[in-house]
Amino acid sequence: MPKDSIQPAVGPDTTALRLPRKRMSKWHLYSRRFRRNRPAVAGLVIFAVLVLFALIAPLIARFDHTELDFLSLGEPPNGDHWFGTTSAGNDTFAQVSIGLQRSLMIALAVSVGTTAISAVVGTAAAYFGGMFERFTLLLIHFLMVVPTFLLLAMFSNDSGGDWRTISLIMILIGWFFPARVIWTMALSLREREYVHAARYMGVPGMKIVLRHMLPNIGSLLVINFTLGVVAAVMIETGLSFLGFGVKIPDVSLGSLIGSGANTITSAPWLFYFPAAALTLLTVSMALIADGLRDALDPTSAAGGRA
Amino acid sequence: MIVVATNLTYFLAWGFLDPRNNYVGRRPPLSEAQIVQLLQPRNLSDTVPLFERWWNWLSGIVFRWDWGVSPVGQSVNEQVAYRMWVSAELVLGATIITTILGIALGVYTASRQYKLADRIGQATSIITMNINIVVAALGIVLLAISFNKMVGTTVFFVTGSASPNVTGFFPIIIDALQHLILPTVALVIIGYAGTHFLQRSLLLDNINADYVRTARAKGLTKAQAIRKHALRTSLIPVATQVAFTIPTVFMGAILTESIFGWNGMGRYFLETISKNDIHGTVAIAAFGAVLTAIGALLADIAVVVLDPRVRVS
Repeated sequence: MPKDSIQPAVGPDTTALRLPRKRMSKWHLYSRRFRRNRPAVAGLVIFAVLVLFALIAPLIARFDHTELDFLSLGEPPNGDHWFGTTSAGNDTFAQVSIGLQRSLMIALAVSVGTTAISAVVGTAAAYFGGMFERFTLLLIHFLMVVPTFLLLAMFSNDSGGDWRTISLIMILIGWFFPARVIWTMALSLREREYVHAARYMGVPGMKIVLRHMLPNIGSLLVINFTLGVVAAVMIETGLSFLGFGVKIPDVSLGSLIGSGANTITSAPWLFYFPAAALTLLTVSMALIADGLRDALDPTSAAGGRA
Repeated sequence: MIVVATNLTYFLAWGFLDPRNNYVGRRPPLSEAQIVQLLQPRNLSDTVPLFERWWNWLSGIVFRWDWGVSPVGQSVNEQVAYRMWVSAELVLGATIITTILGIALGVYTASRQYKLADRIGQATSIITMNINIVVAALGIVLLAISFNKMVGTTVFFVTGSASPNVTGFFPIIIDALQHLILPTVALVIIGYAGTHFLQRSLLLDNINADYVRTARAKGLTKAQAIRKHALRTSLIPVATQVAFTIPTVFMGAILTESIFGWNGMGRYFLETISKNDIHGTVAIAAFGAVLTAIGALLADIAVVVLDPRVRVS
């Protein structure tokens, strides 16, 4: 009995029919190439565990993150307080889970926002050309000179520590660099036949940008999104660490590390747990981005065959 | 561009920072007239129209190279001139080590692609690149403190850039090194991986090129062929990238400086914002813009030096 997967020889001297071969769907192909990259799979698992932790831990924690336990001040990890307590009596376990949740929310919101804005602006600038393109590029180049971290610090210091405002500011300040990269990519797209064809069929400009050009840089956008999450976590941590970001009573990983840094010799557990969560988060996202790059890039050799 | 960006920052800074806030909550409270009297000679009073303040500030820079004073009367010029060198001491050393380490690792791993050394190098780099600078720096502090305890004397200082009361040439150098090592290590750990990855992938593109094979055929060893032919081509984009990261590193040292207690530009940046020091903030913005311009210039120079096809007329 012949194996299903082996094709019989086909040619003028045989009459054998080709076996109907199941076409591999796009997603099947991507997931297969992704799974071949073992570090990426590990990253995905770590990331899933972190997300689950951020979602479930506040429900099973015995204390609220703002609640003060006056009977145990500055205790190392024990049966009651799994990650120990701060000198004011906050439960570090609850704080870390809420902080992770906050950091994840900010990172995802910022990355979605910057990816969407940069993709639309970048491709639209390339497609429409002319004055619009020149104006957009001028704006981008100008924003590159402006000290963005300074603006970020000033704005978010003024915002009073609300994480939604901070995310919005981070989007407004972070979109232009990827937009410049996407513009370069889209320059070659606008000369493709299918874009010309769509234009001569009378498809409106914005629709061409959204329906025909954006899907063709989709893989770049997915990778940009994952790397954007890493960058957003890093920036948010930096801001909160310095005290410009999320403010008390709200916590994020950055502000937790910042307060843990002051007691690093006397109460190191306040530093260990948020630092571990942060490192796991960024490293896992970077591994996922690496795996996605191999999986989505049709010319990549690292993904192996098929 | 630099001029426009700096002026824009001046107006933005006025939009977000208010020197008047420094006097809120003073005991005994200052009267309105007293506050104005304190701020007006420093060109920081909001009773003067914004345009006039801006003109005073700009003409001071253009005609006298005077960047103004902080709300308590410190000269911004002096502060920047002093702190610039503190930062430079930290940043230049770290940048040089980062670049050399990154390029060396890139060459080493690229010439052993997919072998064990390459795999280990890649895995380490992807982890260190994504460790947050805060975590890396604090982890190093913890390690250094336990090392100091183990040895019994203070080998590494975890705060400050120099100890007071050190005299003599060699004691000063040793003291500076003791302070310098930890923050430099922190900056190198998070920074080298970017150069490593870039150098590795660029060298891999070139390592199988015809001219490298020709060089091997002429009788050069593999190491010589890579060093003299493949590396030279692939260094060009790396040099460009390194030159452009200089301003980023300078500003990225904000966190490192505040963790290790260095009074550099990064620390100054934080102080100016929290103390509503508008002139200082704007001076830092201008400093950053100038660094970007210098970075671009250095990148061009590096390309000219490395690429014989680029001719300067």
